[in-house]
Amino acid sequence: MNSTIERVIDDLSTVIFGKQQQIKLALACLFSQGHLLIEDLPGMGKTTLSHALAAVLGLSYQRIQFTSDLLPSDILGTNIFDAKEHTFSFHQGPVFSQVVLADEINRAGPKTQSALLEAMEEKQVTVDSVKHALPSPFFVIATQNPVNQSGTYPLPESQLDRFFMRISLGFPDKQAEKNLILGLNNRNYDDLPVRITTEQLSIIQTEITQVTLSNAVVDYILELVAFTRQDKHFVNPLSPRASIALSRAAKAWAYIEGRNFVLPEDVQAVFASVTDHRLGLNKDDSAYALKHVPVSL
Amino acid sequence: MLKMHNAGLINSALSFIFIIMSGFLFTEVPALFLAILISLSCLNLLIGKFYKKLNGKVANILAAACLIALFVVVGVSDTVKLFVSMMLLASTFKLLQARTTKQYQTVCLLVFFNLSTLYLFHQGLLETLLVSSLYIVNFAVLGYLDSPNSFKTANKQSVKTIFFALPIAAFLILFLPRLPAFWQLPGPKLAKTGLSEQVNPFSIAKLAESDELVFRVEEPNNTALQPPYYWRSLIHDEFNGNEWLISDILKSQQFNLTRKPVAPQNYVQYQVIAEPSSANWLYGLGYATSDNTAVFSTYNGLLKRKGNLNKNIKYTVKSGSLNNVVLSDFEKRLYTRLPGNVNPKTRTLSLSLAEKNTNEEAYFNALLRYFNEQAFSYTLTPTAMTGENTIDQFVFDNKRGFCGHYASTAAFMFRVAKIPARVVSGYLGGEQKQGSTLNVYQYDAHAWVEVHFNNAWHVFDATAVVAPERLNGSLSQLSELNESFNENLGFGLKRWSHFKAINWLRNHLEELDYKWTNWVLTFDQQSQQNFLKSLFGNKANWITPLVVLVTLAFVFLGYFFYSKRTPLSNEPLINEIEQLYRWANKRGIETDVTLTPLQNIANIKKQKPHLSSELAKFEQIIIEVRYQQLAFTQKRKTTARVLLNSLKTAK
Repeated sequence: MNSTIERVIDDLSTVIFGKQQQIKLALACLFSQGHLLIEDLPGMGKTTLSHALAAVLGLSYQRIQFTSDLLPSDILGTNIFDAKEHTFSFHQGPVFSQVVLADEINRAGPKTQSALLEAMEEKQVTVDSVKHALPSPFFVIATQNPVNQSGTYPLPESQLDRFFMRISLGFPDKQAEKNLILGLNNRNYDDLPVRITTEQLSIIQTEITQVTLSNAVVDYILELVAFTRQDKHFVNPLSPRASIALSRAAKAWAYIEGRNFVLPEDVQAVFASVTDHRLGLNKDDSAYALKHVPVSL
Repeated sequence: MLKMHNAGLINSALSFIFIIMSGFLFTEVPALFLAILISLSCLNLLIGKFYKKLNGKVANILAAACLIALFVVVGVSDTVKLFVSMMLLASTFKLLQARTTKQYQTVCLLVFFNLSTLYLFHQGLLETLLVSSLYIVNFAVLGYLDSPNSFKTANKQSVKTIFFALPIAAFLILFLPRLPAFWQLPGPKLAKTGLSEQVNPFSIAKLAESDELVFRVEEPNNTALQPPYYWRSLIHDEFNGNEWLISDILKSQQFNLTRKPVAPQNYVQYQVIAEPSSANWLYGLGYATSDNTAVFSTYNGLLKRKGNLNKNIKYTVKSGSLNNVVLSDFEKRLYTRLPGNVNPKTRTLSLSLAEKNTNEEAYFNALLRYFNEQAFSYTLTPTAMTGENTIDQFVFDNKRGFCGHYASTAAFMFRVAKIPARVVSGYLGGEQKQGSTLNVYQYDAHAWVEVHFNNAWHVFDATAVVAPERLNGSLSQLSELNESFNENLGFGLKRWSHFKAINWLRNHLEELDYKWTNWVLTFDQQSQQNFLKSLFGNKANWITPLVVLVTLAFVFLGYFFYSKRTPLSNEPLINEIEQLYRWANKRGIETDVTLTPLQNIANIKKQKPHLSSELAKFEQIIIEVRYQQLAFTQKRKTTARVLLNSLKTAK
């Protein structure tokens, strides 16, 4: 494994115990320039993980707590009249940051959700028909509570598709939880050393695009995608955007594993995270596909 | 339009095939048409380089022009040649216009038909090998068209295909009933022959130009046949003043079934394998008869072909002597007939000789002496003689000639003396080959005289007196004649035979060709029956179909089960991975299709820890070839095979 990335993972592991897999997935998502959705119950460490991620990557960071009365202008910013200059000047909202943590995104109303998702897709913000470019790199890490909780506005499928990956952290194991109780984890994640600079990040992103994706693996991805389109089990078949995301995520995973070529194992590793939120409500959709699609030799 | 994968290579390979196929017609169609065909293929080679093809209009005009040229140059008289050339022309144009994979596939299909027609003209061993290699290349092109393999791999695959086809072909030849041809080919000229129905001394000079094989002789035991070998083919009984002909009387009698040939009492037996010929006469020594159903024995002791002339024919000959032949009065008159008042000088000469030697035998010897004492010489390039009294010119002025001159002259002189005589043409001698075979070539063609007295036909060969070396065997062995002979010889290895290596090569090639002819080309209905009889004895009648049916059933069953298995993949290493899986399954280790190869191998490793190192090497190859997309080189291929073998032999 790449030593820099290894150190990043080690650092993050001091904050979140026993979740190496999820940390790697989150990194893979960011390295593929995708936005990340973390879905879990309250108190599982979603916010902590996103905070820590921003910190080790040394990126500017803003947190937006979504509530039901949050307005689009609260996120994007607004034009304010300057009495001295007699002009309107634009005051940037919290979205003008390299890493935006949209906490509990499904608590806000659809209008506000769409405003953020548009910004995610276009990497720019339009206020009063003036375009304002967002900083680069621009990542959104959104967290959400499980949909069946009260007081939530579930994201529609079309908007879920904008998220490159969805991960959930899950309960920690006994030992990890014990350590948490004893307060052994690093709670000052703002003090984490910056392991990857912005330049290094862009180098990593370029190198990931050069990872070899062999025909065998492409065939496997195609088989998996085709299966979701043919089998009646699936409500929402995977789109070509999903298959592209799958290949990019597999490349990033291979890169994190320290290889410059993709194995079918990499596809399997990222498959659930990339496809579950696109496929529908059933949690076992991706596992069903993996269990039924033969791996192309 | 479909993007063609490596169109340049495919285009060149097909052009190359077309050029060679056109070359095969070298002996059959005029050079002009051949030049058209070859230049079209070269044109295709050229425009293929720039990846532009002829557009429709230009191609159509060109095709029309070539079609007209075809009819004018090749002519319509020989329909086989015409249609073969037309098909080749059409296929060439198809190639000129081919752009897409589909069109190239059509061209490949056409090439298969064109290649098969070549067998109409050439069936020799070398030609067969060449055509086979063209088949291989064509198969490879076809395979290459729809798989991105390297051309080398495609070629190997196609060689494999051909090799798999070989046992099937052998089986079909041996067991499939040999049906007669559904149609007869209208008179294709397959071989030049050295003989003709007229002995005109000027015609045989052309013979030495040809070193084509005429027939081979196989003796069961070496001592049975004694040289000189006078292989009789034709009897010419009528002299018209210029040339010796076969009279209608003789022709009708030869095929008159009421006069049966008499099987000789004392005979020697041997086998003759005759090459295809444009004429129906065959070859035998002395009074020859044959029991072969494809051979007709005349009462004169000559052999004729029945049926197809285009095939090699193998027949057994029983040869007896020409003694004890009593001529009827009619026959005596037939063999002493002469046109009046030609060659007066020779007539006078003959009559004066006859006055001194009243006895026929004495006259025979006196005439031999005459040819010996006078300044006659043997040449293959005689002076041409015209006019009515050609024999007079020859005997008194030129005195230079070859067998035709001497035979014509001698027969004429015997007849003037009222002694029954006839000109016989055939072949003299032959080249002794390894074992007990004798090869007779066109340049062994000869003409001599048979004279009847004392109730027997005697051979009178004036050529032998003039050039006694001619008797000792093949003409080609004579040093004196070699010079003029080689000048006349066409292209062939014969002229280089004084180089030891080339002579060795020639002998071996001929030996191979002999075996090919003997075992394959002459394998007819009779040989098949004999073969089946020797295999199954008297039960051949019902065992043969049984063998065929059982074999067919097995082939179909085998094919059925084979096709049930996953088909062989063109992707690199897939077959090897599948072999590994099958090996594991046989050892009771389950492999799961939804697991990746590496996961499955990890599983196998767990169950066979002592094979870990081999399996790890195999994993490495899988990673390199399948996932790093490195080339599946010969080295990796070999390693994979060696690993598989060591796994299979491991405990």
